[in-house]
Amino acid sequence: MKIRAIAGITFKEAKRDRVLYLLFFFAALGIVASRVLALLTVGDRIKIIKDVGLASISLFGVLMAILIGTGLVYKEIDKKTIFTLLAKPLHRAEFILGKFLGLVMTLFVMTLTMSIIFLAIVFAHTLRIEGALLVAVAYIFLELVLITAVAILFSSFSTPILSSLFALGFYLIGHLSWGLELILKKMAPGAGRTFVRALYTVLPDLENFNFKTEVVHGLAIPPAIYLSSFVYGLCYTVFILALAILIFRRRDFI
Amino acid sequence: MAMAKTSFANRRRGTLLLIGLLVASAAGFSALKAATDRIARKKIPGSSIIYIPSGKFLKHATFGYRALAADAIYLWAIQYYSTPAIDDRFDHLDHIFAIINELDLRFQDPYEIGAMIAVQGALELRAERPEQAAKAMRDAFTILDRGAANNPDQWVYPFNAGHIALINLRDYALAEKYFEQCMKIPGAPEFVERLRANAIFKKGDLQTSWETWLDIYNRAPDERTKKIASNHLYRVKATIDRGALEKALAEYRQRSGRLPSDLAALVRTGLLREVPKDLDGKDYVYDPATGSVKTGISPWRR
Repeated sequence: MKIRAIAGITFKEAKRDRVLYLLFFFAALGIVASRVLALLTVGDRIKIIKDVGLASISLFGVLMAILIGTGLVYKEIDKKTIFTLLAKPLHRAEFILGKFLGLVMTLFVMTLTMSIIFLAIVFAHTLRIEGALLVAVAYIFLELVLITAVAILFSSFSTPILSSLFALGFYLIGHLSWGLELILKKMAPGAGRTFVRALYTVLPDLENFNFKTEVVHGLAIPPAIYLSSFVYGLCYTVFILALAILIFRRRDFI
Repeated sequence: MAMAKTSFANRRRGTLLLIGLLVASAAGFSALKAATDRIARKKIPGSSIIYIPSGKFLKHATFGYRALAADAIYLWAIQYYSTPAIDDRFDHLDHIFAIINELDLRFQDPYEIGAMIAVQGALELRAERPEQAAKAMRDAFTILDRGAANNPDQWVYPFNAGHIALINLRDYALAEKYFEQCMKIPGAPEFVERLRANAIFKKGDLQTSWETWLDIYNRAPDERTKKIASNHLYRVKATIDRGALEKALAEYRQRSGRLPSDLAALVRTGLLREVPKDLDGKDYVYDPATGSVKTGISPWRR
């Protein structure tokens, strides 16, 4: 109940944030501009529209999660409203979870709106609704949920600027960690390889949520990966949130 | 006091619960990562890069990190072309390497490695997809030509192109053209002119080949080069003489219905003014049973 109240307030607060609308404007612009970009290509125009559209939803969604998420907890501490909140019978875990769910709700609405615009543009070209695109969008949203948790984790102990940089770093590492797999294949067995293997296992693999290529090219997606990626995202999010709560519980605001 | 104790115990229990959750979720995502990696996903490596219009446009979007972008795409390309499972990886080879070349005109390796990959592709595809093999071979020359155009002071590009034309394509006229281009660039090794002379010989232009090798012989800076040129002159002369002898032998056979017992018979019947001798003044070896004419020794063992 308390989590729901905090989530509701966070949602209302995020709705008033101008950054959200600015990013939404650029995302919508990106999706609509994909039509113009498609005119510049020779051949498969719809492929360009789908690529740019999905990339816009993903990229601006991540920016929304990071730029709003990193300020959520910090603002409460900076404006001293945290004292009023924590003086009430409210657990710090409930506060963090409420903030997290509030931003997830905001991102859900934004992703949904961007997807509607995107599907409308695709429909205007193909005259059919491509349900497969929704799979890619759903997993983009799952990635956004994880990024939101990461933004809140950093926000619980750092300033918004540093938190944004850390969260952006997490996002980049998450999409480049496949490079470690390539290195692993070329490394001789030993301590170095074990270290890289451990790093590869612990670092996030956001490519697990990336179905854009398969969806755009109409490639078959192994059904097992849907569940596997979903549970992976869920576990990682729980891990990050548990870490955020653990850190936030130990913080002294005086 | 009792309340404080209860609060402390609750807090401790909460912390332990959170740590347990942390460990459980970490174990969960680690196991799932391994499980997810085991599921084979269909991928189109490079599918995104082939839609990039050109490095000319891309370089404006790299915010001054053109060389870095070229490095990144080059590293990616090396991995991409090292994956034999991608059957159609040679289809966009020139486009991919053109992007790297446009981003960093002086980045030397991609020109050479790109051309090498293209030749390898041509060899791989030769049997099953001859059209694609021909395209891959053309790509090799396109990439090296681009390297030469962007780096006119580097002799290595026309040299490599000449080498590919000579060895892989066996287009000797093309090889001669590239070696000639290479020779004009300051710093080109002196042996390039010998490769050009060899290409002219293989092309079948024996007169020009003789003149070129003679020129090399006369200008040879050392005994080794002189010896090499001399051996080639021996071969060129032997080829010219053998041609004349075989023509006369064919004429003799047509007239008398048989081959002569020795080469002197060709002079006696007026088909030749004299029996030619090799560059060392020795007789050619004639086999009256088959009509073959050859040198007494290999040009390279003189």
